[in-house]
Amino acid sequence: MAKLNGCDLPEDLYYLIEKHVWAKPMDDGTVRVGMTAVAGNLAGGNLAGVTVKRKSMGKEIPQGKSMATIESSKFVGPVPAPVTGVLLRGNDKLSSDPNLAVSDPYGEGWIAELQPADWDGEKDSLATGLDGLAAYQTKLDADGVSCN
Amino acid sequence: MDDEKVMLIMTSGPDTPRRCATPFFFATLGAAMEYDVTMFFTIDGTLLLKKGIAETVYPKEGGKPVSEFMQDALDAGVKFVACTASTELHDIDPATDLIDDVKMVGGAWMWQEAEDCETVLTF
Repeated sequence: MAKLNGCDLPEDLYYLIEKHVWAKPMDDGTVRVGMTAVAGNLAGGNLAGVTVKRKSMGKEIPQGKSMATIESSKFVGPVPAPVTGVLLRGNDKLSSDPNLAVSDPYGEGWIAELQPADWDGEKDSLATGLDGLAAYQTKLDADGVSCN
Repeated sequence: MDDEKVMLIMTSGPDTPRRCATPFFFATLGAAMEYDVTMFFTIDGTLLLKKGIAETVYPKEGGKPVSEFMQDALDAGVKFVACTASTELHDIDPATDLIDDVKMVGGAWMWQEAEDCETVLTF
């Protein structure tokens, strides 16, 4: 696990840096997605809700469009899809404990699973590995963001 | 009916500050959920669109002014429309007195838009 400006960011995930979301290809061809530690920090930490829109289930969400929302008492915002895909399921655990998305963003706090439309074609648009993290570092520095 | 369109009718204004934050929060949330969100301002709600007013209305003492909730909604893509008749009620000149980003409409527009919306909320 790398730490950039105090933000935990695993090397093996695929990031849509502009939107602070990650994607992880699963063995069955689906993609698990969530928000990064950076997003949790920007949202102010204590979340009141993480909601996957029920009507979006079974529908294709284009890359960068909202697949869920996060809200706190002071903040509300979208969680965009890192890749285009059909929304298969949301993480039920978040309904009882939305802050898992902040406390364990890459584990128990994943947000949704998608059936990607074209993972092999679209994954190159995401940042991953050491090069990806270097790009993420540039973004954090440009925006003056840290998780400390 | 377009199942992605929703409308919030905003009738609350500077006289009831505590009623003036949540409608914008809900509108912002709706936009984050990819709904096509319109806020229709009428009665006292229109006063919040008058230049310099929303900056002076605080839903919570020590909190942020309504203008910031409104800007969050606009940034999220919420559309503001205002009832022409309500500007007359408050002696507001729509051409010069209102903030940018506001479209003026008549009451019939509201009825037709409401028919097109899946959900209409009134505050």
